[in-house]
Amino acid sequence: MTDLRPAEIFAVLDRHEVRYVLIGGLAAILYGAPHVTTDVDIVPEEDRRNLMRLSEALTELKARIRVAGEPDGVPFGHDGVSLAKVRIWNLVTDLGNLDISFVPSGTRGYDDLRRDLRTVTVNGIDVPVASLADVIRSKEAADRERDRAILPVLREMLERERGDRRGDRVRGGREGPRARG
Amino acid sequence: MSQRQLAGRVGLSQPEIARIESGVVAPSFERVVELVRACGFDLAVRLVPLDEDAYSLAEQNMSRSPDERLAGLLAGLELYEQGVGRGGSDD
Repeated sequence: MTDLRPAEIFAVLDRHEVRYVLIGGLAAILYGAPHVTTDVDIVPEEDRRNLMRLSEALTELKARIRVAGEPDGVPFGHDGVSLAKVRIWNLVTDLGNLDISFVPSGTRGYDDLRRDLRTVTVNGIDVPVASLADVIRSKEAADRERDRAILPVLREMLERERGDRRGDRVRGGREGPRARG
Repeated sequence: MSQRQLAGRVGLSQPEIARIESGVVAPSFERVVELVRACGFDLAVRLVPLDEDAYSLAEQNMSRSPDERLAGLLAGLELYEQGVGRGGSDD
């Protein structure tokens, strides 16, 4: 398996000005979830020009279709039109696994997720990350065994985040999750 | 469904629904069930094993920067690939 280098994937997406929202396990990890994930999950905006930019980014990433038994993946041609025709792409790239989903479980896609997204700076790159509540919503809807295992911790983190925000409002402070304790 | 519509279904006022949605008011469990059903759903609750280590690690992680959290993931992945990871997810 190719080593996962999320910060470099974000840099490529940023360089090509792709509009997307990060979701899934890596989004949870950026909020502090103590788990391991082996891929980057993004929800791109479906606008044709954006998908053309995404296609250019995928070319730079040398994206191939992830297939069991083919560790290097299967090369495929793509452009802004063809990317829109398949709703979920499971890809392997030179920087690790990249999953693209237009409408992840429990959500209505990019426009739904962008409303509450948080911008998290990773290695100097601003990464649009789905809110923790939306990450939880998606995992609840997917209802996979591995999701069920981490959901209690994610819910606890959300409660703490909300508690901190309430505290900030009372104190007239800033928004955003902070450390407790 | 609007807050006003939901309020009408459960006999509350729209501001009361707004306070619940924003987290200002914590509703009782019975009230949550009532609200969920008013939205056309039912609430399924199940017990899962308590993972105290995960809570403790989350507490530590939340005090770290995103870059530090990402570095933690990459270190964890190395362990994971050596077969001693503490569980994971593929998404």
